Amino acid sequence: MKRLYNFLASLDLGIWLVAGVILFLGIGSFVTREGSAINDVPLFIWLTKAPIAETWWLLVTVAVLALLALNTVLCSIESLKAKWQRGSFLARIAPQVMHLGFLLIVLAHLLSAYGGFKDGGPLPEGGSFSFPDGSRVEIVRLDARIGPMGMPLDFSATLRHATPAGERHAVFSPNHPYFYQGFGVYLKQVELFPAKMALVEIHREPGAGLALAGALFFTAANLMILWLRRGKRAEAAQ
Amino acid sequence: MKWLIIASAGLYLFGAFRLPFFLAGLAAELTYLALRGSALGRLPLIGPHDTLIFFSTSIALMGLPFLVAQGLRRDGTVSWGVGVLAALFALLALPFRSLNMPLPPVLNTLWFELHVALAFFAYALFGIGAILGGFYLARRDRGLLDLQYRAALVGYSFFSASMVSGGIWGYYAWGTYWLWTPKELWTSILWLFYSLYLHIRLKGPAWERGVAWAGIIGFGITLFTYLGVSMLMKSSHSF
Repeated sequence: MKRLYNFLASLDLGIWLVAGVILFLGIGSFVTREGSAINDVPLFIWLTKAPIAETWWLLVTVAVLALLALNTVLCSIESLKAKWQRGSFLARIAPQVMHLGFLLIVLAHLLSAYGGFKDGGPLPEGGSFSFPDGSRVEIVRLDARIGPMGMPLDFSATLRHATPAGERHAVFSPNHPYFYQGFGVYLKQVELFPAKMALVEIHREPGAGLALAGALFFTAANLMILWLRRGKRAEAAQ
Repeated sequence: MKWLIIASAGLYLFGAFRLPFFLAGLAAELTYLALRGSALGRLPLIGPHDTLIFFSTSIALMGLPFLVAQGLRRDGTVSWGVGVLAALFALLALPFRSLNMPLPPVLNTLWFELHVALAFFAYALFGIGAILGGFYLARRDRGLLDLQYRAALVGYSFFSASMVSGGIWGYYAWGTYWLWTPKELWTSILWLFYSLYLHIRLKGPAWERGVAWAGIIGFGITLFTYLGVSMLMKSSHSF
């Protein structure tokens, strides 16, 4: 049992597992074909519905990543135990906070892969669609500013949302979605001719908050490590 | 205006072993970027011409602290190596037409500009790390390997920040912080590879040659992520 623990908590295993994830992601970039539905549905649904010839690389990657997550936790515990009595607190904790950030991002991907949602399609001005909670959203107005070269410089849509709590009005545009109950309504495209049409999508990313938290932990610890390295350089120069 | 690029490439190629020439080359490139940016009203980051110039400028800019670092101050060869790398990408930009179109609305956000600029600062540092790794393998000077580590660590920090800003941009623009496209997969591969680099270094002095080689291979992956994926693979996420 002790041997198994030492193996799972070893730096060597971590290095091989990272190399494995790199290898299978690289293979996946060549295996994934154009027109694949991988980005159109939550990942777990894609994994169960798509043919194994298309999904095997991701299944192997997820398995290696799970082992890497375990290895990261065990290595962090071992590192903290080994260094607890020496060095500054920041030097002890920074790499482990980076590991925590990485683990949170992996967990965020799992959440999004399981509970993500995506739907959408073209809608004319005045058209409406049903929100996932059953309420009605109407596209009241579409606006677009076209540049001299015929390219859209800017576009936006005004919506009316009949929620159980009352009517809501909002303007949404690229990079400024309309959010309601964890769902985002995104304006992807607007065409003015021959009729005013919009391409509207609804997304839910349950892992987004966790991914941001992981990213913030990771960045903060990364800055700590850079700061500590700067201190070491100053010491070396003296 | 392209004469500024030709002038900077010339200065890098033939004079970069002396710091004033290197600085003159960088000033010429920065002037070109500033003029293009003011004509476009935004950072010039769209299309191969602009991104290659931005990459070349980033190499020279990020290289500066290394050229004045202790141990390299009087080493014209490393300085020239960084200059050649910057010149190479400046010259590569010349055959490509500059795109003067306005930004598509989805790219018109600070998160996008931050994402791309930080990625190029990271790519530049990975390139400098590869040069330092090459010189370490030739000379076995331990100081060069330490500088390579600093280049990789700062580059890794820039690249991580680029991925975070890219994720935030993606969430507001596309509805997801992650898409399974070849570009994103290779971005993750690059990030994981430099995570691997930082961990291989923990193996100790016996792995020094391996670390130097990893810094060189990392830049190969960087170039594939930046240029190879856009040219060879179909991806909605390319320059």
